[in-house]
Amino acid sequence: MVLDIERDQRRFKQIVRGRIRENLRKYITHGEMIGRRGKDAVSIPLPQLDIPRFRFGKNGSGGVGQGDGEVGDPVGKPGDDPAGSGGAGSEPGSGHLIEVEVNLDELAEMLGDELELPHVEPKGTASISAEKAKYNSVRQTGPESLRHFKRTYLNALRRQISTGNYLPDDPRVVPIKSDKQYRSWNDVPRPEVNAVVIYLMDVSGSMTDDQKQIVRTEAFWIDAWLGKQYKGIEKRYIIHDAVAKEVDEHTFYHTRESGGTRISSAYKVCAQLIDSTFPVSDWNIYCFQFSDGDNWGDDNRQAFELLNEKLLPAANLFCYGQVESPYGSGDFIEALRKQFGENDKLALSEIADKEGIYDSIKLFLGKGK
Amino acid sequence: MKLRDEFLRELQAIVGQTNRRVTVADGPRILRCEVDQGTALAAAVYEFILESKELAQVDTAILQQSSQSLCNRVNYLLEPISPIETDIDGCVVQMRSNPPQQNESGKYYYELFLRRGGSIALYRYEKQPGAIRSRVPVTLTHEVLGRLCEDFNATIEEILAS
Repeated sequence: MVLDIERDQRRFKQIVRGRIRENLRKYITHGEMIGRRGKDAVSIPLPQLDIPRFRFGKNGSGGVGQGDGEVGDPVGKPGDDPAGSGGAGSEPGSGHLIEVEVNLDELAEMLGDELELPHVEPKGTASISAEKAKYNSVRQTGPESLRHFKRTYLNALRRQISTGNYLPDDPRVVPIKSDKQYRSWNDVPRPEVNAVVIYLMDVSGSMTDDQKQIVRTEAFWIDAWLGKQYKGIEKRYIIHDAVAKEVDEHTFYHTRESGGTRISSAYKVCAQLIDSTFPVSDWNIYCFQFSDGDNWGDDNRQAFELLNEKLLPAANLFCYGQVESPYGSGDFIEALRKQFGENDKLALSEIADKEGIYDSIKLFLGKGK
Repeated sequence: MKLRDEFLRELQAIVGQTNRRVTVADGPRILRCEVDQGTALAAAVYEFILESKELAQVDTAILQQSSQSLCNRVNYLLEPISPIETDIDGCVVQMRSNPPQQNESGKYYYELFLRRGGSIALYRYEKQPGAIRSRVPVTLTHEVLGRLCEDFNATIEEILAS
C-alpha cells in the first residue's frame, strides 16, 4: 500500500495552523516568539498534539462475560464504583511542548485573518529596480545540477546522426562533453514597490523595560504584516529623549537614557532620513512612533509643525502608540487628537499593557494604507 | 526660619477656607502654595513652589546633583522620590515617586521639578484606569509642609554653595 505522506503532512499542517489560530491572541500579546525568530520562519511552542489511536487492554483482564458474579447478575452502570481516595491535583499538568516552525508569511496571513486586516494598497507605481536572477539562457559549462537534459541529448543525437554513429535499430544516444548544455541565468532588472518602516521610540527616563517589550512585540507583528505586503522592505530605527539619533535594531530596544522628552527631535531626524534616503515618489513610507506621551514644555508645537509639514505629507501612514508607563499616560496623544483629529494618515492608539497590543495592531494596520 | 514661620502662620489664617493662594516671601525667595482646603492640622495643596531668582545662572550638572540630595532629604512623603529625567535644553530636572503608588483605583505619584530660573515645585498626580491623568491635591500636615519649605530652602542653599 502506498502511504500518501503529503496528505498526512497537509493534515498535520492544518492541525498546527488551527492550534496557532486558536491561541493567536496569546501569541500576539506575549513576546515569547520574538526570540525564536529566524530569517523567514518563527518557531512556536505548541502543546503536544495527541494523535487519536486505539488502546488495547491485556487479554484476560476483565471484559464482557468475565470476572466475578453469577449468570443473570445485572451489569453495573458507569459511575457506580465507589470513589477512589484522593482528590484532583493542584499543580499544573506537565504537558510537553513541541516546537513548530511557521513561515513568517503564513503567520502574517493568520494575523490578517484574525484581525480582519485589509491588504495594503501601495501608493504610486513601482519605480525602484531590483536585480533579479532569471534562468533564461544556456551555456556550455556549468554544474551538473544545472545540466539541461533535453538540449544535451538533442545535441548528442544531432552529432551522432551527422557523424553516422546513430543506429536506428539500436537507438542509443550517449552525450560527450561537447554536447552538454547547462542552464544559466541573467540579472534582469525588475520593478519593485518598495517600502520603508521607520520606528521612533522615546527612551527617556520614564520609559521602562516593560514598555519597550510592548513596543518590541508590536513591532514584530507590524514587520510580519508589512513584510508580507511588500517584498524588499527596509527598516530604520530612531531613538530619542531630548535629542534623537538613528540606531540599529539592537540599540533601539536596549537603550535607556535619562534625558527629558522632546518628541520634535525624533521627528526632525525622521524627516531628514526621508529627505536624504527615501524619496517620497519612490517609497511607501510607514512611521510607527511609541512614547509614554510625557513630552516636555512647549515641544508639542514644534513637533506638530514637523508632523504637519514634513512627515504626514511623506508617509503612507503615521502611527502613534502611547504606551502607558508606571506613571500613567502623558497628554501627547490628546494634543495630537485635538490638532490632527480627522487626518486620514494618522492612527493613534493607547496601549495600557500587553493586552492592548492586539487592538493597537488592529487599529494601525486596519487602515489598509 | 522666617519663610517657614510666616507660611505656617498664613496656613493658620485660612483654616476652614477653600481655594486659597498663600504667598510668603523672604528676600529673593518666594513660597507659593495653592491650597484646596485648609484645616487646623493639615492642608490639601495643589502645588507647592519655592521660587528664587538666585537660580538664574545655575548649571544643569549642579541641578542634577542637587536633585539627588533633595530626593534624599524629602523621604517623609508617601513614596520615595528619585530623579527621572533631565532636560538639558530647558535646564530642568524632573523627579517622581519611584515607584509610584498603585492600587485598584489607579496610580498616584508626586512630581517635583528643579528648574534654572528658578524654582522647586511639588505636585501630586492621579491616573485612574481609563481616565486621563490629572493633578490632584495632596493633603499634608502643617508640620510636613513646614519641613518641605525647609528642605526646598536647604536645596537652594546647596546649589548656591556649589
